Formats: sequence, C-alpha cells, structure tokens
Amino acid sequence: MEPNPGTLAGSISIRSDQEEAGFESLQFREEIQRLIAVPPENASSFTALLELPATQAMELLHSPHSEDGDPAPLSADSLHGISDDHKSYISSFNGNLAFPSNKALVERAAKFSVFASGENSPETSLVPSNSSANLEKVKSEPAETDSNPNSSQPLISDPTVESKTQRSAKRKEREKKGKGCTKKSKNETSKDAQKLPYVHVRARRGQATDSHSLAERARREKINARMKLLQELVPGCSKISGTALVLDEIINHVQSLQRQVEFLSMRLAAVNPGVDYNLEGLFATESGSLVESNFPSMVAPLVCPEIPFNGNRQHYQQQWHFDALQQPLWGREEASHTFINPENSLLSYDSANSASLHSNQLKMEL
Amino acid sequence: MASLISYLKFEEESKRKKLWKTGYELRDPNSRSETSWRSESEQRIYSTKLVDALRLVRRNPSTADKVSSFREIREAADRVLAVAAKGRTRWSRAILASQLRLRLANNMKHKRAKVTGCSRPKRLEKKRFSPTLQRKAGLLSRLVPGCRKVSFPNLLEEATDYIAALEMQVRAMTALTELVTGPPVDRLGSTSNS
Repeated sequence: MEPNPGTLAGSISIRSDQEEAGFESLQFREEIQRLIAVPPENASSFTALLELPATQAMELLHSPHSEDGDPAPLSADSLHGISDDHKSYISSFNGNLAFPSNKALVERAAKFSVFASGENSPETSLVPSNSSANLEKVKSEPAETDSNPNSSQPLISDPTVESKTQRSAKRKEREKKGKGCTKKSKNETSKDAQKLPYVHVRARRGQATDSHSLAERARREKINARMKLLQELVPGCSKISGTALVLDEIINHVQSLQRQVEFLSMRLAAVNPGVDYNLEGLFATESGSLVESNFPSMVAPLVCPEIPFNGNRQHYQQQWHFDALQQPLWGREEASHTFINPENSLLSYDSANSASLHSNQLKMEL
Repeated sequence: MASLISYLKFEEESKRKKLWKTGYELRDPNSRSETSWRSESEQRIYSTKLVDALRLVRRNPSTADKVSSFREIREAADRVLAVAAKGRTRWSRAILASQLRLRLANNMKHKRAKVTGCSRPKRLEKKRFSPTLQRKAGLLSRLVPGCRKVSFPNLLEEATDYIAALEMQVRAMTALTELVTGPPVDRLGSTSNS
C-alpha cells in the first residue's frame, strides 16, 4: 500500500497526509495519540526495563488490543523502528501475543515498578495484589516458565539445551540487573524473561543467591552445555565422564582429523597433474553425490588397487601408458627418489583409471 | 580480501555483542555447527569450490616440487573450508588471515593488525581450572587455528565448529580422491558418521 518508512511517526504522518479514510488510519491516529500521552508516565518504569523505545513498547502492548483489520502493517512499522537485536524477539512477540501474555506483561510491569524508581504509574495500583500473588507463585511455577520459553519462542531450535541456556543466560543478565535491586528481587521474579528481549536470571530454590555464585554457575552451565555438544560430536565420548578425559578425546580427534586432511591432500597433490578437473566435474555430478554420501560405492569399479605407496609400482607397470603430459614429468623426477615411486605408481594408475572413467577410452585400452 | 576479513570480523563481533547481551550466544553455534556442516548442500558447495581451487592450484610441475604442491593443496583445502564457513567462526577467519598475511608479507611490508587475537576478558575466571585442564585447554587452543587467547567456553564452541568442518572436509576430500584415483581399500573415513 504505502511504503514503510523508518520510524513509526513517519508512517503516521504519511498516513495522515494521504488521508486514508480507512478504519486502520483512524485506529492508528488514536493509538498514536494514546502513545504520546502515555509514555511520559511509564517511560522509566516499564518501558525502560523493556529496553525499548517507549512508543514501540506501547505498540507491543496495544497491538493485540487494537483489533484492526491487519496487524501486519502495525508490526511491520514497529519492527522498523526497533534495532536489530530486538527485532527477532519482537517478531516472535507479534506472532505470539495473545491475551495471557499480555497479562504477563502487565504483571511483570507491576513487579518491576516496585523495584524500579517507584514512581506513580498506572501499574502501581496493581502492584500489591500482583506481588503477593507472585510471591506464592514463584516457587511453584518453575516448570511453567521453563516450558513457556519453549512454546513462546519459535526461534529456539534446541529445546534440550534451551531451558538450561535460558536459565543460565537469564541468570547472567539478572545478576547484572540485580545488583541495583534488593536481594529479595532475585528470588521473586517468576515469569520474567521469556517475553522480554532482555533475559533475566532467576535463582533456583535452595541455591545461593550471591551474585558471584550466580555468575559462576551461569558460566559453568555454559561450559557444560558446550562440553556436552562436543561429546556428542566426537564419537566415543559420551561414555567418558570427566572433563579431562573428554578433552583428551577431543584433542585426539582433532589431531586425527588434521592428519587425515594432510594425508588426503598429499594424495591429491601427487595425483594432481594427472587429473583433468573439467572432465571430472562432469562425472562429479553424476557420481559425486553417490560417492560423497556413500563411501563404499563402486564408482570406478574396474581397477581396485591397494594404495600403499610402495607396492604399486610393479603392479601397474604394465598399465603404464605413454602420456605426453606425464612422460616428461616422469623423466624429470627420476632424480628425486623419495617421491618417485608413489608419484609414478599413482600417475600410472591414474592414467589407467582416468581412462577407465571415460568409457570410450576404455574400449581403446582393452 | 583484507577488507572482507575485517568486515566479517566486524560483523561477527557485533553479532556476538548483541547475542552476548541477550544471552543467546549459545544457541546459534549449536544449531549451526551440528546441522550445517552435515548437510548435503554444504558438502556440495565445498566440493565445487575445492575443485575450482584445485584447478587453479595446478601448476607446471617443473616449477614446483612435491612439498610445495602438497602444501598448496593443503592450504587451498583449508582456505576453501574457511570460506565455506562464511566467516562466522574465529578459526575460519584465522586461516584466511594467516594465508593472506603470508601473501601480503611477500608483496608489501605492511604489517596488518591482529585479526584474530582479540580475547574477550569479560569477567575474571571464577572457576579455577586445575593445571592439567589448563594444559589440555592450551593444547586444544593450539590445534584450532586462531584460538590462542580465547576463553574456555568460546574455545569449546570454536572446537565444535572446527571438528564438524574438518569432518566435512575429510569426507569431501576422500570423495574427491576416490573419484580421481579410484576407491581406496584403506578407508580413511572411519571417523565420519555418514
């Protein structure tokens, strides 16, 4: 319809200029008036904690309320004004905002307004009832908050690690935020972080709420999560317990992989002059997928050598073809003895085999 | 290429900073390293790039002896792997930067700023590692390129991605050598889980 400018105000002005007689324009106008009226009251309590600009925060809050024809332009507009690091969260919010989450937002706003600078705001009236209710709910609803992130944020791809990482990430951020607040606040925030773009930490029941131990626990959990990933990646590590042994295995694995790469690159280097990459590209498409996905595939079935580098020389001597490209190479490398054998054998083998790859030349050989 | 590296590093740093704040730093490498290096598309991308690079590497055998051609191929393979990583990881940038630094050192005397050595001492090491763990972590950091002064959790993350990438590289190169020289009997791919 109309282009989406960078800011919300810009879009509203454009709309008002174009004088759309649509239902949405009316809604937007009155919403913007509401927005302009409301933020000065709430700026420091709720929206500041949301770490969003006030207008977009109120957008979020009001967007499910406004039952206009399409919330899409609204979310698009609000998305433009928000910086990138909130954008992913906002998109998930706008997709998932329903009535329960709104209530959670309001409740959270109520809670935070207690701990924040504590000024008059519409949420303070809700504070006493909500905080008392939440104090009861804190201990009994750890499961719900852990399941909530799973449902409400489709961005997360790994649910098994996610709750742990959320908790640890929450803990870190909350530890940062909690230093300004009282100690009580750390225990009390229950349904805090899954909707906010700013994650908060929650101290679990029966654990020390010292800021240092919280940070350390977060760190440890992060390390443990990554170690678990590594264990899954490296074969044979799942059985091993203990960081040192797992690290040993990981180091061995990396070393063996690097050695394999060296070995393969040496082979490729030896073969390299004899390979015609253009033609190989043709065969790679038809047989490459087979070969890559399935190692024991018999792509080049005719000659199956062993390739220890020493033993091939006499084996393939009779298959040595006079190739103009390779002949001077062979002659020149008589001098250096160390690599001569594998080079020759591979080259000869390669000439035989690369011919075998081309079906028409194969007949000529035979 | 230098600007590419600096741009990639900047992008990664900024993305990391934002993710660090929101604490979702852990989620991205998980989903990325596990699935992306295993996917067929990634392997195909890598193989095509590798073939192209190898085609360029092929030089007149009279000028190069075995060792340097071997090193060329190894470097080409690593470079292609690093490019395939799209610069999101520290080791890939380190590979590219080190190779580029060697080339630049031949051309000009300009000493580039350290692209990779940026540690993140966000907070002190609260967890006291035992000396053996420290030693092993140092070993690992020496194995993974460009991870000398990286903190331990980041080191683990880099190692995860690096191992997945190496496995893909081994798979692709094995397939390539099979294609070129025929299926080998001594299967090197014992560690690859396909």
